[in-house]
Amino acid sequence: MTKHNRLIKEANDTTLRYITRRHFLLDCVTGLGAAALGSFLASCGSSSSKTLVDASGNPMAPKAPMFPAKAKSVIYLHMAGAPSQLELFDYKPELQKLHNQLCPPSLLAGKKFAFIRGVPKMLGPQAVFQQHGQSRAWISDHLPHFATMADDVSFLKAVQTDQFNHGPAQLLMQTGSARLGRPCIGSWVTYGLGSENSNLPGFVVLTSGGKTPDAGKSVWGSGFLPSVYQGVQCRTKGEPVLYLTDPDGMSRDLRKESIEAINEINKQEYTAYGDPETLARISQYELAYKMQISVPDVMNINNEPEYIHEMYGTQPGKESFANNCLLARKLVEKGVRFVQLYDWGWDTHGTDEGGSIDYGLRNKCREIDRPITALLQDLKQRGLLDETLVVWGGEFGRTPMQENRDGKDMPFMGRDHHVEAFTMWMAGAGIKKGSSYGETDEIGYAAVKGKVAINDIHATILQQLGFDHEKLTYQFQGRPFRLTDTGGKVITPILS
Amino acid sequence: MKLLMNNGSWGMLLGRSHPLLVHLPIGILLIAFILILLSRREKWRHLQGALPVVLLAAALSAIFSCITGYLLSLDGGYEEGMLQTHKYLGISVAIVSTLLYLLHRYRERFPKLQLATAAVMVLLLSAAGHYGGSLTHGDDYLSQAMPAGLLQLVGIHQKAANVVAYTNIGDARLYEDLVQPVLASRCYGCHNEQKLKGGLQLESLALIRKGGEHGPVLKDSMPEESELFKRLLLPETDEHRMPPKGKPPVTPQELELLHWWIAQGAPTKKMVKELAKTPRILAVLDGMQPATPLDKQEFIPEEKVAAASAHHIQALEAKGLKVLPVGSGSNYITIDGVNAIGFSDADLQLLLPLKSQIVWLNLAGTAVTDQVFAVSGQLKHLTRLDLRNVALKGKGIAALNACKDLRYLNLAGTTVSSDALSPLKDNKKLEQVFLYQTGVAAASVQQLQRSLPKLKIDTGGYRLPQLASDTTIYHKVSS
Repeated sequence: MTKHNRLIKEANDTTLRYITRRHFLLDCVTGLGAAALGSFLASCGSSSSKTLVDASGNPMAPKAPMFPAKAKSVIYLHMAGAPSQLELFDYKPELQKLHNQLCPPSLLAGKKFAFIRGVPKMLGPQAVFQQHGQSRAWISDHLPHFATMADDVSFLKAVQTDQFNHGPAQLLMQTGSARLGRPCIGSWVTYGLGSENSNLPGFVVLTSGGKTPDAGKSVWGSGFLPSVYQGVQCRTKGEPVLYLTDPDGMSRDLRKESIEAINEINKQEYTAYGDPETLARISQYELAYKMQISVPDVMNINNEPEYIHEMYGTQPGKESFANNCLLARKLVEKGVRFVQLYDWGWDTHGTDEGGSIDYGLRNKCREIDRPITALLQDLKQRGLLDETLVVWGGEFGRTPMQENRDGKDMPFMGRDHHVEAFTMWMAGAGIKKGSSYGETDEIGYAAVKGKVAINDIHATILQQLGFDHEKLTYQFQGRPFRLTDTGGKVITPILS
Repeated sequence: MKLLMNNGSWGMLLGRSHPLLVHLPIGILLIAFILILLSRREKWRHLQGALPVVLLAAALSAIFSCITGYLLSLDGGYEEGMLQTHKYLGISVAIVSTLLYLLHRYRERFPKLQLATAAVMVLLLSAAGHYGGSLTHGDDYLSQAMPAGLLQLVGIHQKAANVVAYTNIGDARLYEDLVQPVLASRCYGCHNEQKLKGGLQLESLALIRKGGEHGPVLKDSMPEESELFKRLLLPETDEHRMPPKGKPPVTPQELELLHWWIAQGAPTKKMVKELAKTPRILAVLDGMQPATPLDKQEFIPEEKVAAASAHHIQALEAKGLKVLPVGSGSNYITIDGVNAIGFSDADLQLLLPLKSQIVWLNLAGTAVTDQVFAVSGQLKHLTRLDLRNVALKGKGIAALNACKDLRYLNLAGTTVSSDALSPLKDNKKLEQVFLYQTGVAAASVQQLQRSLPKLKIDTGGYRLPQLASDTTIYHKVSS
């Protein structure tokens, strides 16, 4: 066999490897079956599945929502570790009266907690509460700046989850499932809407607090959606996106030509095999090339005026929640669809000073108080709050009981993970200004009115973006999947 | 203990086999028709031999079907008019098929007659079959399944979708909005101008009050004494029960509504909120509160508009603008210039072919100048205009007064001058104006505010005070 023939054989083998049993089955369905079924089904009015790409072949091209949207963008502020609603928004004077008393057995019967064992003591609110604004919202002295925004937000006081460990709870909050493998909110949103700015990623993730969320990067993963829809994590220190700059000796022109050549090959690959992942790769190459210019520009907060820095409390060059809030505003201003912030360090069990209700929580509150207030006001003065949905919350709440890990008293005041009721808030784009929905019982243990499930939050976010959450679906493993799975109800009482 | 309730009989069983047995004459008669047609040709002449047997079988099965059909009709529960039509058509089929059999014996004498009779038979058979199907499945069985185009073609008018005329159940008119729809769906079918079962018409309040051949059906304020209500409560086996056996019964909610309406004196015009309510009816009304439509957007006009032409959209997209419908299926358009920083005054004319469709226009950060006002002023449905960070002075801003629906105007980061603002006062629909980082004098803002007291003018420049809490770091002081 000549060398020439061997090469041809190798190429043929490679091609054959691509055509697997799956491709064969797929061809059977789409080829023969579709020819017969296609025309028949079309006449039955079955909705054709959403096409992933527009005419230009770009999966991130902006798409029209199902109906005119209230929100163009979302900024989701996730306090990883779960902040205590009882020290921030859910004021329970009755709990104060029970402070240090043993927890009544009725609250413990049949319940499971992450760390509480035996009979814990009750822990009264460790903050001073006051009513604020015309809405008379209870906000504690931990958030003095945010308290001035009481009339701009809608509180959800009775959010419920069913996961009491951080990882699964964060996954549930961000992907609608406590198990791995589902796309997160931002992925669904960019899948449905694309992104307006073709020079920036449509879905940006910014983290602060020193750690990524417990659930890892899956909370901004695209699951079974094409990977082009996964969140792009930008660093706030050093290069915003790693490996984006050209290496020494590589000119921008040369980079452009090589990317064009690679994409040309990838396009042939796509024509031959039709794998949407190839499209994702093409658009990521193109985006990366454009981002070499646009990202350093938008991620640079040095050019912001001094009073903006003062307002947010930003310190350029440092990794902080404040910097991320300012970046979120800049990104949304540039047409980025979904900005996801994670701030780690809210897990206040009382095991150490940092993770305590009496010290750590107050320090974390200080870190977010100015930036969140500044973000809302900055969006407002630029006329952007109208079309930007801001969501704040953790992955669950905290118990009205003092944690007693292993049946022992803790060195600091702490609260265990609590699934039955916690507080979140939303603001901006079509959300009522100065309202509160849902109630907990007298000690903040259980939701009694206006209960909200995690997929209700998702349904509401999609609603504001112009989607019926039951209709935004993706066909996977033989059935259509959606963010809200089999549940979800739009929380209409907080919509204006 | 199992209650044994058997009032069946052989006759009833035979009757109920009618829907099965009718298919025998249908099949055999159609085969006979095909044989008659074919045997007229020389090539198929030999099929004549099969005809006597086939026609005899057809006639006998048709007669037998008539008998079972009659037995079934004794069972009751069928609409009388349609039943009669079906009965006579079925009997005709039996007669004509018997005739066909006899004709075959004398075919030499009447050669043409056989084919004509066979054709009549097929027509009768089709009609009888159709009415039979309607009796079993309901007369809208097929029309329900028809696509809209076909419905139009065959001249069936689709019932208008149930339009809820009220947004709050309290504002609903009890008779018109709540009671009448119940009567329409449950009673009109038999108590209308044509049918008049029991001499009773229910299609208007006057006719209801008139009553039927057995007297009035309403006793004011006494539902338990009114036939219109009483009969709904009778057991299904009672022959006076309404709607009769086999027809969809009134639901518990509808029952409560009718009861309440009669108890209130069967008012004509009263609204729900004007009437006294029992806890029971409150529970029913609660469930009838229409949900607020979630896809409503105040920034989109209700008026319909023609679709924009594709090449005009492409012309704008070529300039880097993102041109999209506001929602799929809508012809209104939103335009975003985030990637079109080079979009300039020279390109503005490209917007004009879409002047009826553009509702949201975002040219933030583009290279346009004051020219943008003259062009925007021609976009008659414009509700949002975003001109953030555009180098404009505000000259010609008065042109925006032509945009009668403009609600949102963003001039943040522009160099709009203080005195340029005053023409905006004639823009009565305007709800929000953003003037952050413009250097517009406070006096001009106040002047505009005085002319339009409801307008929200945001000049921005918010500051947060420095609080002790901003710098306090909490640490445990070791004792």
